[in-house]
Amino acid sequence: MLKSKTFLKKTRAGGVMKIVREHYLRDDIGCGAPGCMACGGAHEGPVLESQPQDPASSLCPWPHYLMPDTNVLLHQIDVLEDPAIRNVIVLQTVLQEVRNRSAPVYKRIRDVTNNQEKHFYTFTNEHHRETYVEQKQGENANDRNDRAIRVAAKWYNEHLKKMSAENQLQVIFITNDRKNKEKAVEEGIPAFTCEEYVKSLTANPELIDRLACLSEEGNEIESGKIIFSEHLPLSKLQQGIKSGTYLQGTFRASRENYLEATVWIHGDTEENKEILLQGLKHLNRAIHEDIVAVELLSKSQWVAPSSVVLHDEGQNEDVEKEEERERMLKAAVNEKMLKPTGRVVGIIKRNWRPYCGMLSKSDIKESRRHLFTPADRRIPRIRIETRQASTLEGRRIIVAIDGWPRNSRYPNGHFVKNLGEVGEKETETEVLLLEHDVPHQPFSQAVLSFLPKMPWSITEKDMKNREDLRHLCVCSVDPPGCTDIDDALHCRELENGNLEVGVHIADVSHFIRPGNALDQESARRGTTVYLCEKRIDMVPELLSSNLCSLRCNVDRLAFSCIWEMNHSAEILKTRFTKSVINSRASLTYAEAQMKIDSATMNDAITTSLRRLNKLAKILKKGRIEKGALTLSSPEVRFHMDSETHDPIDLQTKELRETNSMVEEFMLLANISVAKKIHEEFSEHALLRKHPAPPPSNYEILVKAAKSKNLEIKTDTAKSLAESLDRAESPTFPYLNTLLRILATRCMMQAVYFCSGMDNDFHHYGLASPIYTHFTSPIRRYADIIVHRLLAVAIGADCTYPDLTDKHKLADICKNLNFRHKMAQYAQRASVAFHTQLFFKSKGIVSEEAYILFVRKNAIVVLIPKYGLEGTVFFEEKDRPKPRLIYDDEVPSLKIEDTVFHIFDKVKVKIMLDSSNLQHQKIRMSLIEPQIPGIGIPTDISNTDLDEPERKPLR
Amino acid sequence: MAGLELLSDQGYRVDGRRAGELRKIQARMGVFAQADGSAYIEQGNTKALAVVYGPHEIRGSRARALPDRALVNCQYSSATFSTGERKRRPHGDRKSCEMGLQLRQTFEAAILTQLHPRSQIDIYVQVLQADGGTYAACVNAATLAVLDAGIPMRDFVCACSAGFVDGTALADLSHVEEAAGGPQLALALLPASGQIALLEMDSRLHEDHLDQVLEAAAQAARDVHTLLDRVVRQHVREATISLGD
Amino acid sequence: MASVTLSEAEKVYIVHGVQEDLRVDGRGCEDYRSVEVETDVVSNTSGSARVKLGHTDILVGVKAEMGTPKLEKPNEGYLEFFVDCSANATPEFEGRGGDDLGTEIANTLYRIFNNKCSVDLKSLCINPREHCWVLYVDVLLLECGGNLFDAISIAVKAALFNTRIPRVRVLEDEEGSKDIELSDDPYDCIRLSVENVPCIVTLCKIGYRHVVDATLQEEACSLASLLVSVTSKGVVTCMRKVGKGSLDPESIFEMMETSKRVGKVLHNSLQSILHKEESLGPKRQKVGFLG
Repeated sequence: MLKSKTFLKKTRAGGVMKIVREHYLRDDIGCGAPGCMACGGAHEGPVLESQPQDPASSLCPWPHYLMPDTNVLLHQIDVLEDPAIRNVIVLQTVLQEVRNRSAPVYKRIRDVTNNQEKHFYTFTNEHHRETYVEQKQGENANDRNDRAIRVAAKWYNEHLKKMSAENQLQVIFITNDRKNKEKAVEEGIPAFTCEEYVKSLTANPELIDRLACLSEEGNEIESGKIIFSEHLPLSKLQQGIKSGTYLQGTFRASRENYLEATVWIHGDTEENKEILLQGLKHLNRAIHEDIVAVELLSKSQWVAPSSVVLHDEGQNEDVEKEEERERMLKAAVNEKMLKPTGRVVGIIKRNWRPYCGMLSKSDIKESRRHLFTPADRRIPRIRIETRQASTLEGRRIIVAIDGWPRNSRYPNGHFVKNLGEVGEKETETEVLLLEHDVPHQPFSQAVLSFLPKMPWSITEKDMKNREDLRHLCVCSVDPPGCTDIDDALHCRELENGNLEVGVHIADVSHFIRPGNALDQESARRGTTVYLCEKRIDMVPELLSSNLCSLRCNVDRLAFSCIWEMNHSAEILKTRFTKSVINSRASLTYAEAQMKIDSATMNDAITTSLRRLNKLAKILKKGRIEKGALTLSSPEVRFHMDSETHDPIDLQTKELRETNSMVEEFMLLANISVAKKIHEEFSEHALLRKHPAPPPSNYEILVKAAKSKNLEIKTDTAKSLAESLDRAESPTFPYLNTLLRILATRCMMQAVYFCSGMDNDFHHYGLASPIYTHFTSPIRRYADIIVHRLLAVAIGADCTYPDLTDKHKLADICKNLNFRHKMAQYAQRASVAFHTQLFFKSKGIVSEEAYILFVRKNAIVVLIPKYGLEGTVFFEEKDRPKPRLIYDDEVPSLKIEDTVFHIFDKVKVKIMLDSSNLQHQKIRMSLIEPQIPGIGIPTDISNTDLDEPERKPLR
Repeated sequence: MAGLELLSDQGYRVDGRRAGELRKIQARMGVFAQADGSAYIEQGNTKALAVVYGPHEIRGSRARALPDRALVNCQYSSATFSTGERKRRPHGDRKSCEMGLQLRQTFEAAILTQLHPRSQIDIYVQVLQADGGTYAACVNAATLAVLDAGIPMRDFVCACSAGFVDGTALADLSHVEEAAGGPQLALALLPASGQIALLEMDSRLHEDHLDQVLEAAAQAARDVHTLLDRVVRQHVREATISLGD
Repeated sequence: MASVTLSEAEKVYIVHGVQEDLRVDGRGCEDYRSVEVETDVVSNTSGSARVKLGHTDILVGVKAEMGTPKLEKPNEGYLEFFVDCSANATPEFEGRGGDDLGTEIANTLYRIFNNKCSVDLKSLCINPREHCWVLYVDVLLLECGGNLFDAISIAVKAALFNTRIPRVRVLEDEEGSKDIELSDDPYDCIRLSVENVPCIVTLCKIGYRHVVDATLQEEACSLASLLVSVTSKGVVTCMRKVGKGSLDPESIFEMMETSKRVGKVLHNSLQSILHKEESLGPKRQKVGFLG
């Protein structure tokens, strides 16, 4: 049956266009209830249960299905995701509206729908002959959609009755719209608000907390005072931005002062890139990372950023203005360092996410409303309503913000999830993953459906465009316990006396086809994240640890890069091919080293390894001559107790020759591949660059070396490398390492980029004109893209439109760079947490340390034994301040009568500070040299550095 | 705003069709009295008229006459109000000329031109409303018009378009689906022999998928044939009845 | 086939018939052939109509587009006419062959609408000097069986009657920048009043008499004709003599009187058809070219 759908559309040019689209109505769309005779076998995919065994609801004790409307889906997705909620009919009308209004919620609901357990059924009501409704005269689009939903609900109830009268199966319409609910009840549809329904589920009281509390009337009356000025509507904001009255920017709350924030103005022409905001009213309910519109205040109202540290700790919610004003004034008495100051007039886009944190239980015993303190200090405290406050106390929980009414001091939110006891390993891991935005949920059904079916074997079709290299003596060398082996090597002598060297990389792109759910998920994750005792895979385990892992004695698909070299490691020929290999051995670095070193062993693998090692040494020498840097960072490894999984010892990572051997060939492969793909796709090759640092970055290094009478040249990478090599002190053997650590801190971050969007390709650290990532496709998405590019370049695989779209590629790079950064931070946070666990068990320890930096009021020290860095402060809240004299030139810090220089050897006391449950930290205090009046807190921090191709801790 | 979802998870297209389904086709032959043959077709909201004049003497310069076969002359024109945004001119632009050429190629392959040497056959198609698949609608209309004119053909020429979205081939693309920018394939088929009279593909599509898309278009063209065949039989039945009076 | 050639005998037969008020197809001199009118045949236009008058087949589509008012009339929208003589009608129109005829008809249409009362152009203004509706009236000539002008004018009137223009609101903010907002209710639209839209009545001078609605054959016998545009109230808005022959002033007055008389009847029957169709509402089965 045919229906034509007519609507008007505004064209881009401002005109109005009449658009006519056909709209077919069908009678073969199933209702999703199994055993329904009327719909026959028209169901597919996940369907409803015939006898829904849902938790008993006091409102409707019969078995029933739920049918939520759009707003319920948008706002109460947390409730719908709960395993207790099952058998839900999602209408196409609702789904389309959700899709247009919120992409993240749309994705979540699709994931839920794909989960067989949940029994969510998507009913294509807009194309069903009996549930389609036409827009009536005088009805707007929203009203029509509401009516369409009601018509569908009614149809379902009648349909189910027809199916079996005694079954009493019902569809319950869930809506928070009062009018819509009234209409539904009038039409005989059982309808409840989400709250009513959830509250009626007596068996699952915890669900109530997950309800989003939307500012329904009546809820907020008790504190009727309007605190904040109104946000302007979007249209006004856009006009204001166009005309220049308002500025658009990203809101960044201050970590130190909850009454202060900055707004980074978008666009490059703006002179004042940063606008200061001070005071609750001017912040006007903006939350960190929101895109806001700000209005500049007149110059007379400009203020300087206060250097005061202010945490919002007041237990009582309504003690406001007075105190704040006082504090504010103090901040305003600053000198002439005034900055452009403004106030938020409206929110362009909220960037709320669920936040981790802890509950600060209300002082009033029976109160259900409590404040939640997020772990991230930049996020304001959130008011939530819960009945389980006493169970949630002392636990890490997740809370989502629902809104921030004008009369409320704090935003309102609802409880989402209980992560567990503070300080518990699982809880803390979860927290650090969430706070670093590391996607770590189990892979969804949709993603898993794209995995190859087991048992898997190589078929004829797989062999198309693929070379059989199973006869080669290939082996892999990895850290111990590695299950995702993505590279293997071989080396053999050719008849002409030259050597053939092959690097074989797991052929992940064979399994992950562009555009499918598996690909999208891996692209989203971007990288595998290695924590101290946990690995968050980028691809499902079947691939990462089995089918793609180049384990020994099984046939595996690989992407090989094969060189012909002479004995002085000069490349004579390079070729790339997809291949099948059968690794002879999976070795650890130590095992490989042993084979190379023991003179008695002469098997094929050992000879191959020796040859590789020899070539690698030549390659490395060549690379260093070109000016590649060997930098140092203290890498630490925890020895875990096999029972409790607590760290019992720390060990700095040992580097063997074989580490560097593997590294050398990976570098070589990456460079060869980078050249090839850039040659083939000059506009859309995915490459990696490492920009040279600006000279000012080196100042600290040069000064530090000078204080030890050494000269560091920084004009080129080569001179830097050479001067670092020369910088040795016979009396101070650790000095060189310290200098290298310092040099590392001067470096820039290496990034992925699309060759068509940039013209500086240079990789500074590796001294290579071009570089990319090819060798770890199991754990890095960039490598998958590079594999695809290379496969197309050699004609082994087909291309797809997005691959050759440089804007799409640039977007991918942006995400990958972000994910890599976040993965690094998460990794560091994990190390920090384990360090805390370690020192918790150790108690107070005293260790030798070296001063790494001198700050105005503190020194940063490094403890070589643990590779641990910490700050020793010399000021304390409650004690009189010591006399500090800071000299920027040397640099040095004089405390009372003792002077500290960079690289001075000191002795510190290390202990765990658990005074703040949410933010536990390692405290360090000075023991030697002794200064009267010390005992001070510390923070652990590391700085960014991009390691060249080195295996992370596994 | 998210872009349009061309194929939902439940397997429905924007207009409610499944991947391989055609739009509703309605057609009529003998629309005009003065022309030698005429036909009208609706494929969904795409509506086209075709008119055939001939075979007749060569119009204009005699030099255009072909000694061994008839000259097939096609003009494609699309009403100024046929598209969403008003067109400036009905014909004479590049797209129309190209369409005319494609139609000519298609029908040179189908009409038994050697039966009418030194003469001319005019096929004029006029699109009244365009909603995707105009080429296909024109070919189908012209086939009926040529049949109406009684000009011998090897076989029906049935055309249909096909596209490719998320690994699925879609038959008979509507305007929204065409505008989404994916690969499109236009195919004119001689159904009895399975020969291809015209094949054209826009945008990029990997050859591994070509088979699938081609088969979708061919199947759709065969479905079109069934429908056109029914229209022709109906028309002939009515004609004989009225003659019988 | 825009014209036919007739033998002398055929012409004499026709002329003598007319003399006796008996035309070849049995009509009297002031009778129209039966007119088929159907509106809303092209769904993506703002209004459309198809008119069949004997073998003359006309399709008219009206598209409303936003434009800027003309400088001399800042408070009014305007109409644009375009006539496409398609090769469908005759192979002579192939390529640019139909352009001359098309331009001639379009100019005639401009002329008969060039007065204040035909259409209320002020209602097409959205905001003065900046936005107005431009109605593109596109005529497609599909088959030609005589009396083109009359058929086209009927079709144009029917299409304008059918035209629905979306209602828009102009939003203005403090800074004076204007934004146009479209109603999301598709039924919310403006209709044009076609009360005063004229129709053309062409009178063909055949022998000593004149006939209305001449067929191609009759046109071939006529040397001159008078084209009169008449409103439903019988007001003449425009008049034009066409053809190679000449007319004496007396017969022109006579012809005008006839055209007023015939025109009123024509308007009346057209109105009743349109209203009847309208009353059927959206449930009307559309026939278009399928019937």
